[in-house]
Amino acid sequence: MKYLSAAFLLLALLFVSCEDDEDPFTDGEVELQMNFTGDFDGRDLMVQSEAYAYPGGGQLKFQLFQYYVSDLQLVPADGGDPVILSEIELIRYASATEDNVESRTFTVPSGDYSAVRFGLGVKPALNNTDPNNFSANDPLNENEFWNANARYVFAKIEANADLEGDDIFDAPVTIHMGSDALYRTVTLSQDVSFRPGTDAELTVVADIFQAFGGNSDTYDLTVPANRRVHGGNQNVAAGVFNRLAEQFKLTR
Amino acid sequence: MPYRILFLLVSLSLASLSACGPDPEDDAQPVCPECPGEPTDPLITGPSVATDYELEIAEYMPRPILDEDNPLTREGIELGRRLFYDKIMGRDSAFACADCHRQERAFTDGRTLAVGVDGREGRRNAMSLVNLVFNGSGFNWDGSSVKLWEQAVHPVENMFEMDEDWANVLERIRGSDDYPQRFRATYGIDRRSEITQELVVKAIAQFESTIISADSHFDRVFFKNTEFFTEEEQLGADSLFFVENVPVGALHPGCGHCHNAPSFGDNRFKNNGLDDVASLDDFRDKGFGAVSGSKFDNGKFRTPTLRNIALTAPYMHDGRFTTLAEVVEHYADGGHGVENEDPNITGFPLTERKKRALVAFLNSLTDEGLLTDPRFSDPFE
Repeated sequence: MKYLSAAFLLLALLFVSCEDDEDPFTDGEVELQMNFTGDFDGRDLMVQSEAYAYPGGGQLKFQLFQYYVSDLQLVPADGGDPVILSEIELIRYASATEDNVESRTFTVPSGDYSAVRFGLGVKPALNNTDPNNFSANDPLNENEFWNANARYVFAKIEANADLEGDDIFDAPVTIHMGSDALYRTVTLSQDVSFRPGTDAELTVVADIFQAFGGNSDTYDLTVPANRRVHGGNQNVAAGVFNRLAEQFKLTR
Repeated sequence: MPYRILFLLVSLSLASLSACGPDPEDDAQPVCPECPGEPTDPLITGPSVATDYELEIAEYMPRPILDEDNPLTREGIELGRRLFYDKIMGRDSAFACADCHRQERAFTDGRTLAVGVDGREGRRNAMSLVNLVFNGSGFNWDGSSVKLWEQAVHPVENMFEMDEDWANVLERIRGSDDYPQRFRATYGIDRRSEITQELVVKAIAQFESTIISADSHFDRVFFKNTEFFTEEEQLGADSLFFVENVPVGALHPGCGHCHNAPSFGDNRFKNNGLDDVASLDDFRDKGFGAVSGSKFDNGKFRTPTLRNIALTAPYMHDGRFTTLAEVVEHYADGGHGVENEDPNITGFPLTERKKRALVAFLNSLTDEGLLTDPRFSDPFE
């Protein structure tokens, strides 16, 4: 009998020692998955592999769509201080082997929230930093930097266009946008409640088609000057950037 | 009572197990003529704790991407340098990494395609090894190695390169009079048998991580303000390389879009318009596509640094261009309209004057000190 007791004691000790004492979440926190989805006219954005019809004729195959998100935050429903999730993120779709969803995971306080807010672009304080402070795998790496005057490229849309309807995608489109003047704050209102110990998920959708003006105010890609926007000719695509800032949607 | 028996059994088992472990005395001289001779896997003696090493990087360069699985140490870097230059790594101890990566050519070989053992020609141009520590996008022309130390595995066994079995390489290194002590000093190992392929390539990667090139005429003009551009160099920089204010309708976005300073190469994978293929399946060398498994990545290759570009001819993954002027002419032609070409390949008007100016600017990226820097030179000379 005493051997049996000893065995039970050992088993009990074993179970106690196996308890997960590394749980990163304290009471009152939830793990929030923030998804950033890229679309074109409501369809999943499939880089390179899919052709998308463009208003007025022609079609596009995208090579790259990316944009910076600054001060990504949750706005509490009670009007309290926002919960900062991240100071800077580069949302990037550039691969035919990846889907149209970029995800980030954050640990946030449970509670009621009324909105997701972020800055589209690199916020002025960070736009004033130089890329030599960062490595190539940091969002603020040198490859997204124009030069000391023009600073970081806030958003890039790159594609090859078939403008003649011959299924030959031989008209390059490179629209690079960014400047402190273009920086926009985006607020996406939606009431959400995150309960302790549960997983939460929110999705921010960006639709390039809407940034190009949709069917009603379409950005004219048949004009050569509109297909190439870099550095100094930002005024050409300011409308694209502003519409990009206005078209974001938030879903659960 | 049963506890006592159990205790006794456990004690005996432990005693017998510990008796099986290595005994330092075993490695001493044989005590009798009948004893076996030299142990096949003797203990390595000497220092066994490595010294941390911090890279010296100019403040105007990006921050390095350090590998937590392979921290830099003084001993590891020196060991890697020796292995890099030692022909012990190749078949019949007759071929070294340095045979294709020569310091005086910014660690390239000057050939169209790399040439390995017995003069066998490979299928790609030997890449420069400078500034690898800034690369976050995978190594080789096609990104086939995610980590730098993984990159060093394949050339040893590739029949077009060093054509040797790793088992033979390890046997030679373990049997060396010098290397075992150096591996112990770097990794703290006790036995020659603990020298593995992974430790060998990690040491080579440590050395390669230190090869940093950041003191060219360009750097002295642009960052240090100790020299001036010639008029021609300045024209090349302003008109075609760094196009600060691209006018409306301008055809060329500037070389700097993919080769931005200070690294002068974003290491990303692109089709830069070299081949006119009927379909994406028709690239003779699929490059990154063969690694990613996507035909949409066929014909894409890593965008290398342009630092020391004047020394690293011939150019492109297959060495098809022998001069920088040919390279500039290729980009001015604007590719072939293949659907996965990088959209920044646009073509642009190119006068002879601007071509000379751009080549003059590219020549300003040569770091003369790199070519004779004793930290990177052959330790056996």
